[in-house]
Amino acid sequence: MKTLLLIGALTLLASPAFAATQAEAEAAVSAAKAEEARAIAAQSAWTPTEDALKSAAKALEAKDWMTAKANADEALALARRSIEQSVEQKSLWRDAVIR
Amino acid sequence: MMIRRLLTAAFAVACLAAAAPEPSGPKADQAAFQAYFFDKFPDVKHEDFGNGPYAVNAKMRKQWQEIMEFPPYDFALDEGKTAWETPFANGHHYADCFDNGGIGIRQTYPRFDAKTGQIVTLDGAINACRVQNGEKPLAYQTGMMASITAFMAESSRGKPFAIEIPNDPRALAAYEKGKEFFYSRKGQLGFACASCHVTGAGQRLRGDILAPALGILAAMPIYRSDWGSMGTTDRRFISCSSQTRALPYPAQDESYRDVEYFLAYMSNGIPITGPGTRP
Repeated sequence: MKTLLLIGALTLLASPAFAATQAEAEAAVSAAKAEEARAIAAQSAWTPTEDALKSAAKALEAKDWMTAKANADEALALARRSIEQSVEQKSLWRDAVIR
Repeated sequence: MMIRRLLTAAFAVACLAAAAPEPSGPKADQAAFQAYFFDKFPDVKHEDFGNGPYAVNAKMRKQWQEIMEFPPYDFALDEGKTAWETPFANGHHYADCFDNGGIGIRQTYPRFDAKTGQIVTLDGAINACRVQNGEKPLAYQTGMMASITAFMAESSRGKPFAIEIPNDPRALAAYEKGKEFFYSRKGQLGFACASCHVTGAGQRLRGDILAPALGILAAMPIYRSDWGSMGTTDRRFISCSSQTRALPYPAQDESYRDVEYFLAYMSNGIPITGPGTRP
């Protein structure tokens, strides 16, 4: 019974209802790229964001929309956090100064 | 009544003392910066801070002294000397571009350039010299740039850093930007330059002993065993950025030039030891 339930759940997850579409994946990648461009302009970008973007682009090429979207969402979250870090540091750095 | 007056006066004095601004500006920063390291490492001779981790760790110092029997940067020094003596296609030399023919001047870089309002590093001045004389600029991180700066640094050995911040708001702004960069946490790991080279100075980070920020540029350029080759200050900054998982800036980016200006000014009085060698 447990095995049947597991198979059922996995089948459901793999069904088109749960998979990202091409449009969703492309939108996620372009949103992540835009946010990373902001991070680069603020000189606050992180290397893992670039890695996640590269993985997303690779997955797009391979038409693996779900992976592309997942990688792009990760890149977006990283880019957002890197920008937040630079905003926080605009005042916090002063606490570290040797006096 | 008398006691009340005395108490009021004492309170007023205490308030004034609390409200008095902390001394600030490059000179006050430098005094506090140097005092921090002199207090943290009371057994280290001040002039030894240019030797980085070897000044603060006896075991590493012993290994370094053995390495220095055959310095791994010697080949770069030879290459730099040859390049220095070889004329450009127009017959001019590097020496024609610098004060004192470029000999014994490394300790005065980086400098503020009043014409452009920018900080000029020694490496930037070398490439400016090449371009003025019709030559292509050199790559900034390694190779011939490291060899020429090694030759110039060697001619300055023992001369203390003597960085000037002229009375120009643009110079002060560059210094302040460099200071902000040095203390700002960056990258996914959230490290500032100061995290390793102030707070962690002298401590171990995995296999490395972290060098104190005071005098950290005195040994540049360096041969790093980790790299298996020579590297310039740009190479070190870029590699530090990557290690914190921050996306590095291009070599000679304004931020890197400004932080070099700040760090070199903090090290005024510490003698040049470059070219150096590091693990």
